[in-house]
Amino acid sequence: MNTIKELYAYRQMIFSLVKKDLRGRYKGSVLGFLWTFINPLFQLIVYTMVFSFILKTTIERYYLYLFVALIPWIFFSSAITVGAASVVAQKDLVKKIYFPRMVIPISYVTSCFVNMLLCFIVVFAVVVCTGVGVNFVALLTLPVIMIVEYILALGMALLTSAVTVYFRDLEHILGIISMAWMYMTPVMYDKSIVPDRLLPIFNLNPMTHVIECYRSVLYSKEVPDLTSLLSALSLGVLFLLIGCLVFNKLQRHFAEEL
Amino acid sequence: MVQNETAIEVNNITKHFKVYPDKGAQLKERLLFRKRSRFEIRDVLRGISFDVKKGEAVGLIGHNGCGKSTTLKLLTRIMYPDSGTITMNGRVSSLIELGAGFHPDMSGRENIYTNAAIFGLTKKEIDARLKDIVEFSELEEFIDNPVRTYSSGMYMRLAFSVAINVDADILLIDEILAVGDTNFQTKCFNRLRELKAAGITIIIVTHDLSTIEKFCDRAIWLNEGVIVKEGRSPEVVDAYFNFMNQKRIEAEKQDEEPEEAAPETESEPEKAEEEEPAAEENSGGIDYSANRFGLKYIEITKARMIGESGKDGRIFSTGDKITIEMDYKVNKPLDEYIFGFGFYTLEGQCLYGNNTQLDRMTVKTDKMSGTVAVDVTGLPLLAGKYVLNVAVVDNNGTPMDFYRNYCDFEVVSEDRSTGYFSVPHNWRITK
Repeated sequence: MNTIKELYAYRQMIFSLVKKDLRGRYKGSVLGFLWTFINPLFQLIVYTMVFSFILKTTIERYYLYLFVALIPWIFFSSAITVGAASVVAQKDLVKKIYFPRMVIPISYVTSCFVNMLLCFIVVFAVVVCTGVGVNFVALLTLPVIMIVEYILALGMALLTSAVTVYFRDLEHILGIISMAWMYMTPVMYDKSIVPDRLLPIFNLNPMTHVIECYRSVLYSKEVPDLTSLLSALSLGVLFLLIGCLVFNKLQRHFAEEL
Repeated sequence: MVQNETAIEVNNITKHFKVYPDKGAQLKERLLFRKRSRFEIRDVLRGISFDVKKGEAVGLIGHNGCGKSTTLKLLTRIMYPDSGTITMNGRVSSLIELGAGFHPDMSGRENIYTNAAIFGLTKKEIDARLKDIVEFSELEEFIDNPVRTYSSGMYMRLAFSVAINVDADILLIDEILAVGDTNFQTKCFNRLRELKAAGITIIIVTHDLSTIEKFCDRAIWLNEGVIVKEGRSPEVVDAYFNFMNQKRIEAEKQDEEPEEAAPETESEPEKAEEEEPAAEENSGGIDYSANRFGLKYIEITKARMIGESGKDGRIFSTGDKITIEMDYKVNKPLDEYIFGFGFYTLEGQCLYGNNTQLDRMTVKTDKMSGTVAVDVTGLPLLAGKYVLNVAVVDNNGTPMDFYRNYCDFEVVSEDRSTGYFSVPHNWRITK
């Protein structure tokens, strides 16, 4: 409870770190902030080429099917990989001055989140331009889904950023883990083709539910399955609690380990 | 504000660090070189307790590595103690690392916001303080330029201005005197005095003992992770200063003349042995550039500066009555000796020098050892650090034992004049 109160007092710091991160991210590059959009767009093109022309998927409007899942996935994976290195990256601050350490992963995840929100402008542009259109009732659930994903990503980032301080390899291991995780989540394919005996694993994966929800709102234009959303939320809260506990325990020795 | 309220309560804290000779933070290293991750445990603090009352200014002193900076880090909660508890009542601002989180490409104004945010201020609170901060830093003209265009002095001024305007209840300060030019330093000190008067608790860590003596009500002297002495600052500072001097003189003795025993323990039989190497060493000539040189026919074995307390000390106040005593030892008797002393700046500039010959006094003795004393009836030096030289030469001026930088001493003063000497004066309006 105290932690929350303190974090609230330091909200300006979170805000200014997010701003600094967003502004600094593409500093010095010619296209600057446009990279926020170009990067996912090119990923989309590559995956669409592979799946539509080589693997010949039967899914209708595969580009959109993939796009609405890929953008949230990129947010999640960058939150855990970049988030993992966040405390180490800010070691000068951590060693020099007191502030609630959680501010760091929170602001990194938030800045990734803001990035995702910006990418959603492109998603909506695609949805509108291709004449697919939106279901406004379903759209109302979108913020809820985003918040659930945010909670999930934050829990993971808290966990990985704290452990990385003591064990630097984790940062690199996470690159592999996040790739494996992507293939274990129905981002590029449909959950219906998953073999039955693997389904329990997929159902335990909170990102499966999150991605499905995004997809039903933006691709199928339906209100997402409530049980799916609830299981994602409960898993998310669980992750966040574990993340907080571990982070609080480990942060006591940050200044010495960095 | 209640004067007796406790602002900081430190209860028996300990802290150790693991020191890895060669730490493997990576998995490969951990697995392959298990043995390498062995570490030594270094106890930095071994049970420290103290209380600080609201509105008090307390100085932490001690030599490098005594644990004072660690204590400060524990107080700011950058680190946590292994055992024991720390209670801090109120908002804490630390002037430990100034300018943490400054971004060189952002303007001074933006950096004020970022930096103040790190201290836990909200945007509204920063808005309200912005004017004060900018004014205090004297950077009005440059406040919208990127910080990378600032000189290091400007940078520190901005950082200090933010930290000091946070409106903390407790201020923790580490070596603040590195900030800016003398004028800005004075300004900082005046500001700190105002804050102190307003009931803000201040903890200072510094090597500058005169700051502690001038500014702090109380001082705590740490050594090897324990509190050696705690009490009113002049007393603690004196004790610490004497301890450090003793330590340094001993170290110098060991470095330069390993054959000579420490002066206090000198006893008769040792003297006979010492004559030979001394004479041999100096037969080749005199190295005038050395810290101590001369033919050593007569030697100054120890010099003391005795203040009003009657004890050998290294801190005096302007106007103090002090006595400089020199113990000498004759190795090869001469007809006449000339004893002298001098006050120098740390840069080596002579401020005052005198000897028995200049004062038309003849020193003849047939004793083989003894003491010469000179009384200074009112020490005229202003606040600062000075160096004492002592010397003995023969009647032709040939150096026998010339001791440059015999020791440093410090003068504290109520006299706010600048320069080196206190000149008695009175102002009058004549028209």
